[in-house]
Amino acid sequence: MPNLFTLVLQITVILAVCRLVGSLFRKFHQPRVVGEMFAGILLGPSLLGWIAPQFSAYLFPPSSLGFLNALSQVGVVIFMFLVGLGINPKELKHQSHAAVLVSHVSITAPFVLASLLALYLYPRVSDDSVSFTNFALFMGAAMSITAFPVLARILNERDMMQTRLGTIAIACAAVDDVTGWCILAYIVVLIRAAHGTASIWMTLGGILLFVVIMIYGVRFLLRGLERTFHKYGEISENRMAFLLLLALGSALCTERLGIHLLFGSFLMGAIMPKEPKFVRYILDRFETITITLLLPLFFAFTGLRTNVGLLKGPAMWFYCGLIILVATGGKLGGSTIAGRLSGMPLREAAGLGTLMNTRGLMELVILNIGLDIKVISPALFSMMVLMALFTTFMTTPVLEWICPDRILRPEFGKVPAKEAQLQGSIMESTGGSAA
Amino acid sequence: MSGSNRNFVLAYAFLVILPLVGLAGILKAGRSLTAPISIDGLWTLRVDSTQLDSLPCGKVLAVPDKTIAIAQSGRTFVLTFPSGQRLTASGTLDGTKLRAFLTPPRGSSDNSCADGHQLSLLASVDRRAGSNLLNGTLSAPDCQSCASVGFHAERQAPASKGGH
Repeated sequence: MPNLFTLVLQITVILAVCRLVGSLFRKFHQPRVVGEMFAGILLGPSLLGWIAPQFSAYLFPPSSLGFLNALSQVGVVIFMFLVGLGINPKELKHQSHAAVLVSHVSITAPFVLASLLALYLYPRVSDDSVSFTNFALFMGAAMSITAFPVLARILNERDMMQTRLGTIAIACAAVDDVTGWCILAYIVVLIRAAHGTASIWMTLGGILLFVVIMIYGVRFLLRGLERTFHKYGEISENRMAFLLLLALGSALCTERLGIHLLFGSFLMGAIMPKEPKFVRYILDRFETITITLLLPLFFAFTGLRTNVGLLKGPAMWFYCGLIILVATGGKLGGSTIAGRLSGMPLREAAGLGTLMNTRGLMELVILNIGLDIKVISPALFSMMVLMALFTTFMTTPVLEWICPDRILRPEFGKVPAKEAQLQGSIMESTGGSAA
Repeated sequence: MSGSNRNFVLAYAFLVILPLVGLAGILKAGRSLTAPISIDGLWTLRVDSTQLDSLPCGKVLAVPDKTIAIAQSGRTFVLTFPSGQRLTASGTLDGTKLRAFLTPPRGSSDNSCADGHQLSLLASVDRRAGSNLLNGTLSAPDCQSCASVGFHAERQAPASKGGH
């Protein structure tokens, strides 16, 4: 049984610190989510456990962390549902050559560079229980992810959602996220199949069948929900509970199929009807508790697993620097080159590259999965968390430097102003605790 | 094919398809790499408690549950006692040899720890036992008159990968 006093105390401290640090970061024109990620690190062994080990042991006794983790995972499951909800596949169909090229290069460039880096890091920070292929593929997937929600928040804050840069960045980030999650799902299946009883083909067949049922069966049910919303202007509590059950059920199915809870909830969000008012209505009902209560717990739990103290000696810091360099070079550099070759002006292409380099919360989600399945070691996890913080933190100032407001060229003709405003607010919502 | 389409195809081939071919080569090359042996996980320590008393700080190890947890990151590792002893050790792995220094917690009940004594752990992984056995000694480097204490550790069944 959990010690209720300890659990409530933990939640209180985490919420207070996350709000405080998040507000502080807002003063430096950073999205709140960056501050909350940083707050998580402060509460872990990297700072609190280092300067006040006894208080840290009292506040976060090892026996209590299971409950904190469970609560935070529920939050991430719902959050991934909201992220999927914010992705509209129809918008991706009409993207230009530029978006197609940039999105694919922004995956392959960091992926290949990360795999190249894996050749160097594997003998140094991994062990022989992990195969090189799994290690390299995971590093690639982790470095090629873009934080779609944080990106949307930054674009909305800078009023860039309707600019060419904004629309291309959002489309590319959505493609990156979907692709990154598919690759990650494949890696998780590979690793679990190697240690489980079910064959990989059975697992893949099960996943394929599940996706088909979701797209052609469950989506049909969801259209009924949308029709009800349009008829009555609201959805009853019972139907909202049914929707939540579907999201959780989908998460359970993917977990049982051998991938991960999060893939199911993400898929459930992705197949939801995308009419902006309907999406807005669903978000309003789910996001407050998820973003203000549950996600900070996830940041804190991630912080508790991150120990900067594990980076002992210049060699470890050198590896960390290399990771940041390769992640930034692959994502920012690759996207910039692709944007330039697609005919974008250099500044705009560099701005796009900077935006694509935002990793934020999505990176933390992936890294936690990697640590759970032991494909990355605790020290590498800490290095990658630092990389996620660094690349997310640098986005706003670098973007401000490369693309000051005066040089942005809005293309309002593409999206009707009112619809664009609503779409912007939807994406802002899925910007997580950035709000 | 129009000029812009041709440029797109060329750029796509150079920036996407070619790197993917390179990726296949990287994955093939990486298969020949060897990483340090895995010592990550929970181990059951078998050591004579009476002998431990003779070591400075030895009492902090004389607890009923002698499970030790090793969190490995390549050639370095951190050793902790999940049963509650706030005792940690950082160590290095060189081939099959482990070396670590255990730092007793501040305010330890063992008075012999008061002078900031350290315990040194030297062990080797028994590869014949599938890397599931450790054999080694505990000693106090700053105590010339203290004898080393031998120990064995057996790896507990590893948690299934991908488990939560």
